[in-house]
Amino acid sequence: MSTYTTGRRPPGTTGTPPAPRRTTPRSPREHTRATVRQRLTAGGFMAPAVLLVTLFLLAPFVWTVYRSFFSDTRTAPFSWFENYSLFASDPALSRSIQNTLMWVVGTVALPFVLGLAIACMTNSGRFSRLARLCVVLPYALSGSAVAVVWNFMLTTDGAVNQVLTGVGLDSLAQGWLLTWPGNTVVMIVANAWQATGVAVILFLVGLQSIPPETLEAGSLDGASGWQQFRHIVLPQLRPVSIIVIGMSLVNGLKSFDLIWVLTQGGPGRATETLAVSMYNETFLELRPGAGAAIAVVLTVIVLAASWLYLRRQLDVKGV
Amino acid sequence: MSLGRVLRNAAIGVLAVLWLVPTWLLVVNALVPAANYSGSPHWLPEDFGLFDNMSQAWDKAHLGPALGNSLLYSVVSAVAAAVLAGFAAFATIVMPVKRQALWFWVIYSGTLLPLQVFIRPLFLSYAHTSLYDTQLGLVLIYTAIAVPFAFFVMRNYTLTLPREVVEAARMDGASWWRVFWQIHVPLTRSAMIAVFVFQFVAVWNDLMFGITMATSRNIRPVMAALADLQGNYSNVGPPVVLAGALLVSLPTVVLFFAAQRFFVSSLKIHR
Repeated sequence: MSTYTTGRRPPGTTGTPPAPRRTTPRSPREHTRATVRQRLTAGGFMAPAVLLVTLFLLAPFVWTVYRSFFSDTRTAPFSWFENYSLFASDPALSRSIQNTLMWVVGTVALPFVLGLAIACMTNSGRFSRLARLCVVLPYALSGSAVAVVWNFMLTTDGAVNQVLTGVGLDSLAQGWLLTWPGNTVVMIVANAWQATGVAVILFLVGLQSIPPETLEAGSLDGASGWQQFRHIVLPQLRPVSIIVIGMSLVNGLKSFDLIWVLTQGGPGRATETLAVSMYNETFLELRPGAGAAIAVVLTVIVLAASWLYLRRQLDVKGV
Repeated sequence: MSLGRVLRNAAIGVLAVLWLVPTWLLVVNALVPAANYSGSPHWLPEDFGLFDNMSQAWDKAHLGPALGNSLLYSVVSAVAAAVLAGFAAFATIVMPVKRQALWFWVIYSGTLLPLQVFIRPLFLSYAHTSLYDTQLGLVLIYTAIAVPFAFFVMRNYTLTLPREVVEAARMDGASWWRVFWQIHVPLTRSAMIAVFVFQFVAVWNDLMFGITMATSRNIRPVMAALADLQGNYSNVGPPVVLAGALLVSLPTVVLFFAAQRFFVSSLKIHR
């Protein structure tokens, strides 16, 4: 561990009179005192962030894990994994798991495919900037505002049903948010409407970092447009793809605002995902033990999903 | 060549129009005067009732205090997170600190966990300490949530800086405190702005803590007020709700497009 305060004077300063406290070499005791003071200063710089995170995030996390092992009866006895077994016995929670799986698939596949397609198609061309703007715009809205917009689209007398009746498809008009699994599917679509923007931005960054020489070489060798995309562009987008998949996955798992404002997890508890179920169990059903168990399960899934793209990030940055 | 290009342009056009429809309907129907709304969505603007709708939404959802609160929470938390994360990144990367990896994980782990895992313990301890339903309480939570990711961005940016400048300043006898404010902060300014913009938007858009940690109309943030307004959808009518959504979204939309460069750079750092 190096210290800045001792030694290592730049060459060429010997002629000029140095600062007084540097003229004599330090004694070992002085040295350690300087080191201790330096450590204290470093601690002072880190303390606010560390304290805040420990107090507000890590301690509550530990407490939630602890709470998940106690049941929700009045005396709240230690009950091992009873709360976790609710996932098998409680139909609302099984439905919640099903919905979460649908969300995971939908929030990864839709923004990925659409984002990649839109980024590739709008990478060059005249109207591409404008078209891209249309897609990126919803990304600037909050989940709650997106929910307001899509409620307007999807209610019984909303825009979607209006269009369907307008083109003579009355039979398809329906209460989009009322029946499962359609309601979960339309919310995944609403989520994709918002989340594709960020995928487009990331894929564009990736596309622009592809050296044009590789594409030129490909076209000289007679590769068709599709072959170029498949064998030259796509492999070089791999790092960005992993980030897009990881981010959408984690955001999909954590998504709360959209569902809460659109349906509050209803009707019944049909559209809950784990993130919403946790809130419902804890604050509405007043079963904090079950809520804590859901939160822990959600954490495990989120951590596993994060690992997918974190592994890369942290390798590169060398922690 | 031409067929492919035509197809591509057609695909772009269709996608762009599809994407634009909800945004278009949001704006058009927020313009329709609430009294004229016929029960089914309008597709073309007629009459200009936007400001009237916004002021109705303002009154019904008490948006005035909510907007003020959200501005306070977003600015203070984003600034605090940027500065505290800057401190921590400076200490772990520039200063000679032992166990860098440990400190990194202690701070960074907060951003990996879903928010649901914090909320009930925080709710209970807030109820015990009279921080519940206070502005200070919300600022503290928002700052704590923002710090880990801000730290990650600041740290990665700090890693790219040359160490020589700081070493030279230290040899000239500058204290760490001075080195931080006079050398490190100017050098990391762009990352700090990126962090600020990112966290401002994140705090502004938060709903969950807003509806859990506050109940009063003069404490709750703006998304909680919007959710409340949406809950009155059938009473106040779609134009007012949409105008309200538009109004509360304006600050972040403007910020997003004004600072898109910083947004993209923070996403790139994220990589």
